Amino acid sequence: MKLLSWFVIGMALLGAALPPVVGAQGKPFTVTGVRGVIFGAVLPGVPRVISRTDPANSGQFDIKGVKDTQVQLTFALPSAMNGPAGAQMPIAFGSSDAGYSQAQVIGSQIGFDPKQPFTGTLSKNGRGSVFIGATANPVANQRAGPYTATITLTVTVLP
Amino acid sequence: MRISKLSLAVLALVISASAVQAQTNNASITATATVQTPINVIGAQQLSFGNVFPGVNKTVAATDLTNAGRFDVTGQASTPVTLSFTLPATLSAGANTMPIDTYTGIHADNVAQTGGTAFNPVTGASPTLSATGGLFVWVGARVVPATNQAQGVYTANVTMTVVY
Repeated sequence: MKLLSWFVIGMALLGAALPPVVGAQGKPFTVTGVRGVIFGAVLPGVPRVISRTDPANSGQFDIKGVKDTQVQLTFALPSAMNGPAGAQMPIAFGSSDAGYSQAQVIGSQIGFDPKQPFTGTLSKNGRGSVFIGATANPVANQRAGPYTATITLTVTVLP
Repeated sequence: MRISKLSLAVLALVISASAVQAQTNNASITATATVQTPINVIGAQQLSFGNVFPGVNKTVAATDLTNAGRFDVTGQASTPVTLSFTLPATLSAGANTMPIDTYTGIHADNVAQTGGTAFNPVTGASPTLSATGGLFVWVGARVVPATNQAQGVYTANVTMTVVY
């Protein structure tokens, strides 16, 4: 019946237009930036290191999705922070500056290189957290003032 | 209850498109830092021995506000710094040299040297900048002219390096 066919097509297109991003079991799949990387006061010429295990200053993302799902974590990392009057301050990420915690506990992470994709598995509750540290490298004549940069985490659900 | 092949195909395409859309998500955080005031050092006053006579040692004390060498430092308020020095072993006048055998130092948070702290420039010091970000450093020394020291004007550079 043509009417039924058009109904199916219409429902399908309507479904495609719905905005929520959902997982295979219909649960929302979300990534949330919880906390930024905070270097605080930095002195010219003195590198400042923030560990991924620093509970107050490391960056944190929380992931919610379907339980036991494998996800690939990919960072877009800045090479410098932007400051006053166009000044820039280099920021570096070491080979173990990122960590994944299925239990969402900062003290229980698997370290990984944020410059490379990493595969983790969401918990039985469909949760996981990603922590990140970094090093700010101000030069000796670094211009005084506030500096910022954006760190983006892309999470892809693996089939 | 027949569903045409076209509608099934559209349904399959839409479902697969939805599935692909559902597989990726992202979020961003910010890295922040606040850079403090850079250090600035000025050689404010020369270390001046004045007239020196052959065979007669002459000392300029670090407490001598007129003749001791003085460096003025500015930077981030109330912040520790490390002082280190490059100290000449001799003064020179052309090919002639005159030994310096002793150095003394004092640092204070005011130009009057009130409440200053003595230190050995050879080993350096680790003072803290004042609440207004200032520090004053004086260097004294002793020259040991030989009994046959040649006449002339003798000079050398004393360099102080300050880091956070």
